[in-house]
Amino acid sequence: MRRLADIMLRECGKIRKNPIYLLSMVVLPLIVMLFFTSLMSEGQPQDMPVGVVDLDNSSTTRAIVRRLDGMQTSHVVAYYPSASEARKAIQHGEIYAFLYIPQGTTEKLLAARQPTVSFYYSNTSLTAGALLFRDLKTVTTLAGAAVGQATMRAKGFTEKQTMAFLQPITLDTHLVNNPVTSYNLYLSTMLIPAAIMLFIMILTTYTLGTELKEGCGKELMERAGGNAFIATAGKLLPQTLLFIAMMLIHAFYLFGMLGFTHEGGLTWILVLNVLGVLAGQGFGIAIFGLMPSMRMSMSVCSLWGVLSFSMIGAAFPAFAMDAPLEALAWLFPMRHYWLVYSLNIFNGYPLADSWLHIATLLVFALMPLLFINRIKKAFEEYIYVK
Amino acid sequence: MSNERRKSVNKIFGHIRQICAIWQQEVTSMLKDEGMLLILLLIPLAYPVLYSWVYNNEVVHEVPVVIVDKSHSSQSRKFIQMYDASPSVKVCCYANNLKEAQDIVGHQKAYGVLYFPEDFAKRINRMEQATVGVYCDMSLMLAYKNVYQTATTVQGLMGAEIQTKLLGNHTTREDEVATQPLNVEEVPIFNTTGGYGNFILPGVLILILQQTLLLGMGLFIGTTREENGRIIPRNPLYSNSLKVIGGRWMAYILLYTVLATYILLVIPKMFSFVSIIYWKDFLLFILPFLMSCIFFGMTTMSIIRRREDVFLIVVFTSVPLLFIAGVSWPASSIPEFWRWLSYLFPSTFGIKGFIAMNSMGARIEDISPEITALWVQTAVYFLTTVAIYHREMKK
Repeated sequence: MRRLADIMLRECGKIRKNPIYLLSMVVLPLIVMLFFTSLMSEGQPQDMPVGVVDLDNSSTTRAIVRRLDGMQTSHVVAYYPSASEARKAIQHGEIYAFLYIPQGTTEKLLAARQPTVSFYYSNTSLTAGALLFRDLKTVTTLAGAAVGQATMRAKGFTEKQTMAFLQPITLDTHLVNNPVTSYNLYLSTMLIPAAIMLFIMILTTYTLGTELKEGCGKELMERAGGNAFIATAGKLLPQTLLFIAMMLIHAFYLFGMLGFTHEGGLTWILVLNVLGVLAGQGFGIAIFGLMPSMRMSMSVCSLWGVLSFSMIGAAFPAFAMDAPLEALAWLFPMRHYWLVYSLNIFNGYPLADSWLHIATLLVFALMPLLFINRIKKAFEEYIYVK
Repeated sequence: MSNERRKSVNKIFGHIRQICAIWQQEVTSMLKDEGMLLILLLIPLAYPVLYSWVYNNEVVHEVPVVIVDKSHSSQSRKFIQMYDASPSVKVCCYANNLKEAQDIVGHQKAYGVLYFPEDFAKRINRMEQATVGVYCDMSLMLAYKNVYQTATTVQGLMGAEIQTKLLGNHTTREDEVATQPLNVEEVPIFNTTGGYGNFILPGVLILILQQTLLLGMGLFIGTTREENGRIIPRNPLYSNSLKVIGGRWMAYILLYTVLATYILLVIPKMFSFVSIIYWKDFLLFILPFLMSCIFFGMTTMSIIRRREDVFLIVVFTSVPLLFIAGVSWPASSIPEFWRWLSYLFPSTFGIKGFIAMNSMGARIEDISPEITALWVQTAVYFLTTVAIYHREMKK
């Protein structure tokens, strides 16, 4: 126990001396937190620029354009004389979509000859494309309905009858726990902890590797009385505590200050964030044990960590990937963290639904035990090669 | 006269020879370093393949949905049938009540619930508005989109059928006009399939270029500093800071032109992603992009003290850079402060320009603002590099 404390003190000294530790444990994670939450503070992108090519230019078509402009996500910024110029504007990145109203639209509408208007949208930004498409759907449905509504009112139908005729079936949509489709709630809760876990993984290998690099592995083992478990634990415990604090600060910021939904409550938040730190460190130690070279283990953790953002499967779901990749996703600690978050914290489901992922996180946390002998050997024998 | 000219020509060749010698020296030490080989060769070759594989299914199909049918009528069954027929969703199972359905969603066997109340058919037959409950699991946006959009489509289709029955028109054309007086054509003009890979991959590929370049440079400069106490080797060959910059520039630009061609042109073709860029435009684009990356790297990476520090500083920036380039989050919604900050990074303009040409068929003159920005960055970062190397030389 005294040995453990001794090594922890030694480690604290190192952390104080080398600014990179505090930078990557405190400063950069804080910047990442502020970055994502302030970037997406709108919740949903609003007033995205769209264009109009109105070759008909009647009061009816202008009403449609006005309605489109009035929608929350679309903002009509420009009128173009032709479709090809509007297309150029999309290529230049000035607008994301445009509404094309051909000549004679109003005339045909009044003569019940079913005119066609076109809505061109770009999916190169999938978020923008999907949201603008939804706006357009609403606007054109309303425009069509307005015509029918006027006819029926003239024929003397009641409002209720008109609505029942125009829309025989309605949808009662429940966007469970994220009723306003906030992308901030959806993405920040995934990206920020994943970024902190990325720092955990890289810094763990950095910390262990530094011993080899500075050639103090032997001295460390002597202090630990030849026990590699004490040596590793002593080196990493200060970081464990600090990272748990950071994870809890992130949770407090998201769920407490920004008020993101957390059906599962406080216990889950505490348990998951502690587990996340331990799993990240466990993964880092295991990789270091597997290949006790500072450069190699850091590279592997970096690559694994960056790939995690895709393999989490929060944006493009894992079940839509090829089967081997879906299986491979199990090897990413961040994915299990996110699954537990979305099942237990976000949706408030019971432990029965997520125990397998919690168990996997525990396995990651305990993985170093498999490699403890290799780590011992590394500290005692390996020399740093450039 | 001719003698003098020969002298000056010789002098120029002398300079070039020195630069080439430095270039050769840099490449040799790169090849000796395992870490450099990993980051400058293996990752640029393997990572794009891996990412393409992750996203090559493009679209999410057959998202499982649970049905709670309290109505048990031909109308509700018709709705379910039409819903199930869509490629986006599939009916995975039936539940007796919402609680049971919620459990199924909790087990991740489904991502949405359709709920038909008891009076669903009765209301339709009475010519009243009938309601279908749609419950979406919001932890997966793409799944939610499928569940919800399919429901709206079926709602519209079935609604139109009910309308035509009520109208009792004589011809189909009359029905069409009555149910949809204004026809709307939806044209996805670029990335027409709405594929996830075609949307995210161009940005990722550009970032792989920039980030591996930064990592490689940082590692190299860190090593040099550890060994020499400054970022320039103490070697008679390295006597002029401009020549050092030139030699290093040669080493990276040659390697990365090859890598960029592979990553940006070959990879999309291999995986059949959209790639409608003209090769002449590609060359005019890739030159300023790589140049600005190289000088940006030389400037920023000169702060690296220990070689391994570079991982902690560079790796995490990848995802934020993808966001501020306007890929995952629309550029028009990026707050002012972050937009200004994004102008510091070559990837911001690189990603915008590359997507415009690769995915939207823009020509080089269409992206002249981005190209200009990249050249400005190149010039500015070149000057800062010269200043830093000049100072380092005196150490």
